[in-house]
Amino acid sequence: MNNPHPIDARPLITGDDPAAQAHYQKLVAEYGSPLLVLNRRVLQARFKALQAALPEVDLYYAVKAHPDPEIIKIIDQLGGGFDIASAGEMSLLLDHKVSGRRTIHTHPIKKDQEIRDGLRFGATTFVIDNAHELKKLVPYRSRVGVLLRVSFRSASAIVDLSKKFGCAPDEVADLVQQANALGIHVKGLSFHVGSQCNDASKHVEAITRCHALMQEINTTANKPLSVLDIGGGFPADYALQGLDIDAFCAPIRTALAELPKDWHLIAEPGRYLVAPSVTSVTTVAGKSVRNGFRWYYLDDGIYGSYSGQLFDHATYPLQVFRDGERLPSIIAGPTCDSIDVVAENIAMPELEIGDLLIGHQMGAYTAATKTRFNSIPDARLVVVDHPQERPVLSD
Amino acid sequence: MKHFKETLYDAVCQEFRIDKMYFESKTAHQHLMIFHNAQLGRVMTLDGVVQTTEADEFIYHEMLAHVPIFAHGNAKRVLIVGGGDGGMIREVLKHPVEHVTQVEIDQAVVDMAIEYLPNHSNGAYQDPRLNLVIADGFDFVKQYADSNQPSFDVIISDSTDPIGPGEVLFTDNFYAYAKRCLTPNGIMVTQNGVPFFQQDEIQTTYERMGQQFADMHFYCAPIPTYYGGFMTFAWGTDDLTARTRSADDLQEQFDALNLDTRYYNPEIHQAAFALPQYVKRSFKPES
Repeated sequence: MNNPHPIDARPLITGDDPAAQAHYQKLVAEYGSPLLVLNRRVLQARFKALQAALPEVDLYYAVKAHPDPEIIKIIDQLGGGFDIASAGEMSLLLDHKVSGRRTIHTHPIKKDQEIRDGLRFGATTFVIDNAHELKKLVPYRSRVGVLLRVSFRSASAIVDLSKKFGCAPDEVADLVQQANALGIHVKGLSFHVGSQCNDASKHVEAITRCHALMQEINTTANKPLSVLDIGGGFPADYALQGLDIDAFCAPIRTALAELPKDWHLIAEPGRYLVAPSVTSVTTVAGKSVRNGFRWYYLDDGIYGSYSGQLFDHATYPLQVFRDGERLPSIIAGPTCDSIDVVAENIAMPELEIGDLLIGHQMGAYTAATKTRFNSIPDARLVVVDHPQERPVLSD
Repeated sequence: MKHFKETLYDAVCQEFRIDKMYFESKTAHQHLMIFHNAQLGRVMTLDGVVQTTEADEFIYHEMLAHVPIFAHGNAKRVLIVGGGDGGMIREVLKHPVEHVTQVEIDQAVVDMAIEYLPNHSNGAYQDPRLNLVIADGFDFVKQYADSNQPSFDVIISDSTDPIGPGEVLFTDNFYAYAKRCLTPNGIMVTQNGVPFFQQDEIQTTYERMGQQFADMHFYCAPIPTYYGGFMTFAWGTDDLTARTRSADDLQEQFDALNLDTRYYNPEIHQAAFALPQYVKRSFKPES
């Protein structure tokens, strides 16, 4: 017989942690449950760490990862730029009086109205990856600068580095020529190696190939390509094993050092910045024992903050403040749907109604993809300045 | 220290120091800012683009108001589309016109300009000859064209750029409806951008507005904060004599009115219709 509940082996922190428990209990007492706790200090530290690891690169926060006004405010204060992909994201930035000058519009496929909205907002850098999109920019050619998004098929890795968007490297020269003929300025290339990379080898390969492509084009181009956008892909530490971003970026730094010094470098970090900055706090609202499993029903789940488990294929480390015998348990969300399960068959100490369950690394693509299902209210986002280090599993 | 960076073009931009922020709001229609700059006085921006500054607004407003009105010679009724900062009505109402209708889409722009740019309207909003209508300029001319109300001798489109709420004021239909609001020898003029950077705009206007008028042309003036050299104004009329009024005619009217202008004079009026080759070629490639 198939086991309907495969074992969930995600990182689980158990046992007493009075300081952390008191911290979250106090927040719940004040703001209610469920919560998303944004730790400003972590976000600031992350931004600065990435800046230090890639000192020549301008960072444009990928707003889509977590389009929360509080996060935008912090990135704004840090002097970061913003990678936007929709009129809604622009409007969010406008509410915070962020100038369009500090944004790049990175969605390769746009309706005319989106281009107009972008220009009105003040974004003048647009990303495209094919001739149809290029032609859409003709009416606005005096105002815009274009990045061509390239996708590389890696011979060594046999991995499609970019599936949905991006032109093939051998199309680049032709697109640049077409753009020139149309009077549109292509100022450089962009690529995306995908999210949550284990190492920087894909970045390095893409940088090297873009470098070659741009140099080849620049031997004949009257308007040289001089911008390279290395996208995102900087990982979050979902395994809680510790993440050394400086070590991760070292090969990227080496690859970038080969580029001409006057090129302008851009990155679009999202996940790396916000994942560890936000912690989910939920409360056990009910429990039962069925078919030998302890079932715990939380007040947040797959249709809310944990939606990234579905859309983003992420598994978030959990923490409970109990110890004792580990029992096969199922952690479910609050909706009536059976898909609303956060953890299937996870071995956990017995929880009681009212216990807090903490989800770590829950800042990226979590609330961003929440739904309105069952009309259950969203987890409230609260901002704290908490000195506590995020947990790292030691074994 | 805060700075405002204009967002018109990707590769170049002008930057202003914000010495004092008077007002900033995101209205239903647009993002409005009014601030002080030591060099330029008060500066108003909409959607990240400079609309007007106290230091150089006189060039723009004098040229967009006095050129068509003096060229017409006997304008009694004037329609202004846009121009919520009040500079245009100030200049137009210096003429012995009987009636001015101003159609502005955004009441907030008018209110804020009266409060923070009082020198622009300089009391003109109190003039009994003015009828201020808060409405979409396109809807207004469309309805007006089909009504039996008296036509206008001069229409001035003092709009934003063709991206944003000003967009409809650069369409075929707008020019067609506006034409029907004009008297037979009426003159229409519009703000038409800086062709050094916005070559397409002049070409598009020539094609669209040119369908309506026997005489379609442009005239120009350099306005420092609309940087890039000359700004062009589109000129359309069926009165083929209007563009070539004699210097004596213009001088006589100008003297009679005793206008204290700072840019406009009859020589400038005539000279403004002389266009550089790069401007001519942007709408008449064979020039």
